[in-house]
Amino acid sequence: MNVRPVAERRQVLFTFKILYMKNISSNLLSIVYFLCGIGVLLLFWEVSSRLSDGELPGPIPTWEVFYELLKDPFYDFGPNDKGIGLLLWGSIVRVAYGFLLGTLVAVPLGILLGASKIAMNILNPVVQILKPVSPLAWFPIGLAVFQSAPSATVFIIFITSLWPTLINTAFGVSTVPQDHKNVAKAFGFSKFKYVVKILFPYSLPHIFTGLRLSIGVAWLVIVAGEMLSGGMGIGFFIWDSWNAGSMEKIIGGILIIGIIGLLLDKGFSLLQKSFSYEK
Amino acid sequence: MKNNIEAPTLEMYIKQDLGLTQNSIEINNVTVSFKTPKGKFDAVKDISLTIRKGEIVSIIGHSGCGKSTLMNTISGMVKPSQGEVLANGKRVTGPGPDRGLVFQNYSLLPWLTVYQNIYEAVDSVLKYFNKSEKKTLVKDTLKMVNLYEHKDKLPGQLSGGMKQRVAIARAFAINPSILLLDEPFGALDALTKSSMHIELLKLWNLDNRNKTIVMVTHDIEEAIFLSDRIVVMNNGPAATIKAIVDVPLLRPRHKKEIVHDPEYMKIHDQLLGMLMDKLSIADIKSSI
Repeated sequence: MNVRPVAERRQVLFTFKILYMKNISSNLLSIVYFLCGIGVLLLFWEVSSRLSDGELPGPIPTWEVFYELLKDPFYDFGPNDKGIGLLLWGSIVRVAYGFLLGTLVAVPLGILLGASKIAMNILNPVVQILKPVSPLAWFPIGLAVFQSAPSATVFIIFITSLWPTLINTAFGVSTVPQDHKNVAKAFGFSKFKYVVKILFPYSLPHIFTGLRLSIGVAWLVIVAGEMLSGGMGIGFFIWDSWNAGSMEKIIGGILIIGIIGLLLDKGFSLLQKSFSYEK
Repeated sequence: MKNNIEAPTLEMYIKQDLGLTQNSIEINNVTVSFKTPKGKFDAVKDISLTIRKGEIVSIIGHSGCGKSTLMNTISGMVKPSQGEVLANGKRVTGPGPDRGLVFQNYSLLPWLTVYQNIYEAVDSVLKYFNKSEKKTLVKDTLKMVNLYEHKDKLPGQLSGGMKQRVAIARAFAINPSILLLDEPFGALDALTKSSMHIELLKLWNLDNRNKTIVMVTHDIEEAIFLSDRIVVMNNGPAATIKAIVDVPLLRPRHKKEIVHDPEYMKIHDQLLGMLMDKLSIADIKSSI
């Protein structure tokens, strides 16, 4: 490392300080905005609760019931009486399995579709027909094939995760710019080098966009899937709470689903950013 | 062909063009046609041109006149529909390591650093070099174009001029005997452009002016400053060569002084006359 002159070093330090402070103040500001949003939500909730004469529980009674749930989240009193943590964990695991399997199929298939016009022409109509079908419609087929509700739930998550990943991967692979192809041609890149140094890096951001969409939809579908299959997961928790007549539990469940969904999305957004590049 | 029998050494690559014909490029009756929905479209028609070794030749003409197409027949990116192109005495059938390419829009891979962009080209072309030879070559090339301290930057972090320097360095690194530049400085501002001209000539000088350079441009001043000969193309479709203008200005040429040279002014006027039909805007009344 070359040593910078003192004046320049000071300048750099100064610039750094300003950037750092700017960053902190913008972070502080975004926290303040976030708290404002939560405040508005709580206010709206409280007002609605009072207007409904207690049909809809307010934030405070909900918190009291919810707190009891969170105090012992991992108890296990048999198949129909589990802690919320265990149920949630089960949902996450099923989503992870289905999503991973879906990714393992969708990415290679997407690459094939993007790279080969013939494959695209053959498979595109099939994809177009299957894509708009609600994943829940596949549940009976999953049950028939696997003879088990948990496996059928993983199966619908698998189906859910296929389409966005498949379509985005195919799009990425099929839109490698001519400029990049020209580089490969002009410098005689081998097939392997083309795939590793051009095709894959170019498609990765598109693939991650697909994965982010997939995990989002998968998390939407798992709740409905578990309501259908019953006996497991956060979806069952919601339905079970309805049967038990506890609005407080339902609202608590909704909040948890929302928070986990947000975390999943943020995680994939970070992944997506780390694989994108400046043009 | 004989190069394939034994692994060539670095020296062989440097000297590969010695002993071959003095004509670096021969374009013989080349026609390029493209199929379009409306039928066959001739981009360039029946063009012949010979370029000597170490010569700098510019191809100049209006946009869409087929000048890039003509140059791409030399690079091997476009196959002539009729006729043939010889590079260093060998028939061109595709891109090859004896010809380095610089694209109009830099064409750097945005996810690779400056160093990696050059390394991947070197790695792909100079297959017989071992890893450390390739690394040294890339490092030396980067130092030659004063980009070594930027080697770990991504293209997105570079200015247009620096990107084009990387692209030129990439083409030079494989040490081709022919350098093909497709409107290389078209996207740069006037000041950067001027300094790039000088850098290009420096690189050419470093190699004892042995490299043949063919450049496509639409900039008359640029063409005169750099070239030994200027090929003026007719407007397409079915473009042909309108004229070949010699530029007998002595080298080294001085950017500031050359524009006052009577010879320069004569060539400039001649080219301007060929490229512009109307040299002044028409009277308002007559144009209505």
